[in-house]
Amino acid sequence: MDAMIGREVILAGIGVAAGVLGALVGIGGGIIVVPCLVLLFGVSIRVAVATSLIAVVATSTAAGSVYVGSGTANMRLGMTLEVATTLGGITGGLIAAWIAPTVLAGVFGVMMGITAALMFRGREGHAVASSSEVGARAGWEDSVHLGGGYVDERGALVAYRAERVPIGLAISLLAGVLSGMLGVGGGFLKVPAMVLGMRVPFKVAAATSNFMIGVTAASSLFVYFARGDVHPAIAAPIAVGISLGALLGTMLAHRMAPAALRRILAIILLLVGMQMVLKSFGVELGR
Amino acid sequence: LAARLSSDPSLRDRAIVQGALRAGLFASFALLVAGMVVASFEHASAGPVSLAALFGRVPLGSRLMGFGILVLGLTPVVRVMLLVLLWVREHDYRHAAIAGVVLVILIASVVLGHPA
Repeated sequence: MDAMIGREVILAGIGVAAGVLGALVGIGGGIIVVPCLVLLFGVSIRVAVATSLIAVVATSTAAGSVYVGSGTANMRLGMTLEVATTLGGITGGLIAAWIAPTVLAGVFGVMMGITAALMFRGREGHAVASSSEVGARAGWEDSVHLGGGYVDERGALVAYRAERVPIGLAISLLAGVLSGMLGVGGGFLKVPAMVLGMRVPFKVAAATSNFMIGVTAASSLFVYFARGDVHPAIAAPIAVGISLGALLGTMLAHRMAPAALRRILAIILLLVGMQMVLKSFGVELGR
Repeated sequence: LAARLSSDPSLRDRAIVQGALRAGLFASFALLVAGMVVASFEHASAGPVSLAALFGRVPLGSRLMGFGILVLGLTPVVRVMLLVLLWVREHDYRHAAIAGVVLVILIASVVLGHPA
């Protein structure tokens, strides 16, 4: 029994770390959960992926509940991009058999490296809303321009609108195709699609991504659950840890400067990109 | 606050969706923790569980944790359903239709994603 409790504490700790990171930059935490489970616990890849999907839904629900309430997540923007990503994901799953995964992983890895550089160098260029601006208040959503208002780390109200929506949709579609073909998560692709493609403030992009990733993950989760790949004794402590970690992460994210958060995501993109390039040369690290 | 919420559809929507997310989170959290406590007193170490097996013979600890995961997995479905209803009520038919498409894709992928 002691050994079991020891294992549960480690799993919950992994969950807390994944939850904090996930809530900070708008990802689900699967990139931490899957390698940890496979490398540290020798869990089969299917159980690890099922656990990772549970982790993504937990991050999305915990962080989403805070970001929806604070007005940082833009629900209309999230749902609009969700259509493109899920359609892309289905397309990717269907055409995966036609293209060599090694070639794809290499191209994808290089693309992620470029995205990381753009994320690292970029800066936020958004005006603080004047009090006279029509409709600009925290939590407001502009249903025509997919814009809104949120309160930044200095307590200032920032008004924004999504620019170049077709570009953002195209990047989301492409991200969906690639994630469907390679079986990688979507969060770390959705945030750059919004920030670089649509010039949405980083915090809004991360919060919106957190809100929507749970929807994508839930559909896959039920498939794994029906197949019997959900291991409750492994998933439960991770989900409990990740819920607490994600709530903690939202508090940290509220205080941190967007530039710091962008850099954290850039580093994650770079690491996953390198993993993809290695994969294209036949080196498999976890997943 | 109530008057402000009722006059502002954006803020009212947010309060409703946040309430649904919190309810799902707390319910699943309670089930997961209860299941972990029960499982620590059970002798047999349970392995992976399927959705169908949750309603059959599995140890109580695994069953509680499994239902916690089920509740957690259902919250994204509920959140999209809520958005469809809320946006229809607001006459924002464009986004209600978009959320409707997401809901259809979500349900279709669950139904069509048969075990390999």
